[in-house]
Amino acid sequence: MNSLIKLTNISKSFGNNQAVDDVTLELNSGSVHALMGENGAGKSTLMKILAGVHQPDVGSISRAGEVVSLTSPKLALDFGISTVFQELSLLPNLTIAENMFLGREPKRSFGMIDTKLMESQTKAALAELGLTLNPSTLVSELTIAERQFVEIAHGIKADVNIFILDEPTAALNAADVGMLNKHIRRMKDEGKAIVYISHRMDEIFDICDTVTVMKDGQHVATKSLSDMTPDSLIAMMVGRELEDLFPERSDAQGACLLEVKHFKLTSVSQPLSLKVHKGEIVALAGLEGQGQREIVRSLIGQHIPFGGTVRVKDHEISLPVAANNGIRQMSALGLGFVPEDRKDEGLFLNLPIADNITIGLHSTEGGLAPARKYREVIADTIKSMAIKTSSANASVASLSGGNQQKVLLGRYFASDVDLLVIEEPTRGVDIGAKAEIYKLLRQFTENGGGVLVLSRETIELIGLCDRILVIHDQTIVSEMVAADATEHNILDAALSSGSDATGSV
Amino acid sequence: MTATLKNILTGKNSRQGLWILPLIIVVIGFVSLSVSTEDFATSQNLSNLLKQAMPLIIVAIGQMIVILLGGMDLSVGSMISLTTALLAIDAPAVVTIPLVVVAAVMVGFINGFSVVRLNVHPIIATLSMQFIVLGVAKLIRPVAGGSVPEFLVQWVNGTIFGVSTVFLWTPIVILIGWKLIHGSRYGLHLFAIGGGAAEGQEDAAHNFGISDRRNIIVAYICSALFAALAGAFLAGRIASGDPNVGTIFALDSVTAVAIGGTQLSGGIGGLHGTLIGALLMALLSNGMNLANLSAFLQGSIKGGILLLVVALQSRKKMGL
Repeated sequence: MNSLIKLTNISKSFGNNQAVDDVTLELNSGSVHALMGENGAGKSTLMKILAGVHQPDVGSISRAGEVVSLTSPKLALDFGISTVFQELSLLPNLTIAENMFLGREPKRSFGMIDTKLMESQTKAALAELGLTLNPSTLVSELTIAERQFVEIAHGIKADVNIFILDEPTAALNAADVGMLNKHIRRMKDEGKAIVYISHRMDEIFDICDTVTVMKDGQHVATKSLSDMTPDSLIAMMVGRELEDLFPERSDAQGACLLEVKHFKLTSVSQPLSLKVHKGEIVALAGLEGQGQREIVRSLIGQHIPFGGTVRVKDHEISLPVAANNGIRQMSALGLGFVPEDRKDEGLFLNLPIADNITIGLHSTEGGLAPARKYREVIADTIKSMAIKTSSANASVASLSGGNQQKVLLGRYFASDVDLLVIEEPTRGVDIGAKAEIYKLLRQFTENGGGVLVLSRETIELIGLCDRILVIHDQTIVSEMVAADATEHNILDAALSSGSDATGSV
Repeated sequence: MTATLKNILTGKNSRQGLWILPLIIVVIGFVSLSVSTEDFATSQNLSNLLKQAMPLIIVAIGQMIVILLGGMDLSVGSMISLTTALLAIDAPAVVTIPLVVVAAVMVGFINGFSVVRLNVHPIIATLSMQFIVLGVAKLIRPVAGGSVPEFLVQWVNGTIFGVSTVFLWTPIVILIGWKLIHGSRYGLHLFAIGGGAAEGQEDAAHNFGISDRRNIIVAYICSALFAALAGAFLAGRIASGDPNVGTIFALDSVTAVAIGGTQLSGGIGGLHGTLIGALLMALLSNGMNLANLSAFLQGSIKGGILLLVVALQSRKKMGL
């Protein structure tokens, strides 16, 4: 097998976050190369570097010893690298044929676009994938699966020799996947190199021959799949020791703070129920895009689910609540929400620390009530949370990620919140601040609060939480006690489709 | 077929937007004016009507190119004024006409550069340009006056084979606009860039390998050139330069484009819609003039129709 392209010692960081760290990857002709790793392991970033979307900070890309520069998607395409990204990027106001040929439209006389040629070629390309869509249909009229297929058809071009398929099957059913696999095998026989990113184990073992595992932006191993089993592959993806940064769990479990019953995210999703007690930290785990984020956001009143009931302490609320007062209603019941994107959704970056803390207190007062200063509250919060700052009047933007997160938590600790819903409690936070935040959360529950956590970091779920609920396909497929859980069985549950999952389905 | 018909009637799932409704209003207005007013359906009045509509049609085509990208060009009014002022300076046409073209390319380039490179919002970028260009126009010609090249006056007001020349210019301008917007790769890329912008994915078109920044700058240059063409037409009609003649066209062109079903968020619209919109506005003022309606009331009615037509668009966002 000869090498088509080689990425050497690639590193890429976004702000403080080292997304890809010194990774070397070689793609060979006639090979389907699986790229695996947990969410946030750096797979997508690495592929975006190959596709010309991101530029590496360090490292080089070369073919046959010659360095190539891929500074834009167009250059990468000209070089013969084609990408089907996870997120759909078709233009809804153009037809299927126009999307397929966008940027390289065939011309006929007088510079007119050759629509007929475009449409006949599109029809042929779609037919090869088993689709009978009319090429002159606007993409806005297609279903998600149809769009996904058009995207794949767009990516599979004859004059390309490296294909990147980033979770191409997320929206497809089994028959569609079979059709796609047939194509991948054909391209492999033609001597092309395919990078295949997927969380579905059966697909990986079905069509791939080589696997590269990434973890925390680093290259773990590259192996031939014939030497691997699903279990050994998962072990490789997880492979690390629990670090000693989590506080002791407490056994104290009090009254039920939050109870969700008959909750359905959409009309077709399976109902789910969950409880959070006083003194407890409960986690939602699962692979990206299984609906966990929407479930959490439904509970705080920001997302509109299909239906269900939520019981916060003694108040029963039936969902969906009215779209524009859901958040007020929930926060009036003592529900605090710490969003994943604290810079855009959580904090007022340009305002001082003091204002960011007291805004939670102010929001419970009347709109025309004189604003109290809350000097003691601010001083207490800064002290008890060990926020490192020169003054309470310093802007939040000047703080480090860990201290920003503490300010956001401090806002809720200062006001009378007894149930905290947190997305990614330690995103972009260094290891020392992580341990402090874990301790603060545990303190909060020991003082009678309850916490519902959503996190991509499995290790965090196991170390920090009491119970872990694994979400797959918009419902809870498995519940486990965190003390007994391992990264392996969480990933196993998250990867399994509903049928062979343990727990409540 | 019924689905297609429904799409046309509602403007839904069509890239042209809702253009049938303003067309119906134009037809109703045309018929009722022909019936009610004796003077309306005369060839004299019809060529007058088209002459009135012509500058707006020209400038609206340019405006539409920018709006399809999700932008807006408020400097077109001043560009028109500047064109008439430049054409009326005391110099031969071989000097003034290239001067106008250079000025338009410069204005368009600075607009586009401000939007894509300096990241200024299109409204602010072109609003600033409007003041700058208006200042220059007034510096060149503080009050209306001067004279423009004689052939320009002939071209606009004359006849050819006994037919008013406006019937020759209209199809030519429309053909240029159609070629740019619906008959070229450039036009398709305009829709692609605007569609991405309307969806909140600014770099969607870029990821297809389209050089979006260059296309946007070219769009603002096109808009300024169309404005200059409209200015030349106006200068020929009034046979002089006037620093205030263009002012109303900035917002009138946006109105005509919006009435024609083009979405201001970008990516949806059609040339025929814009023509209908411009025609509707000319018809309104012509008909209301014939009916001796107060000029102040005419403005109010224009606003009312704009609000009504845009409110009736079933699709506020693309893909819904």
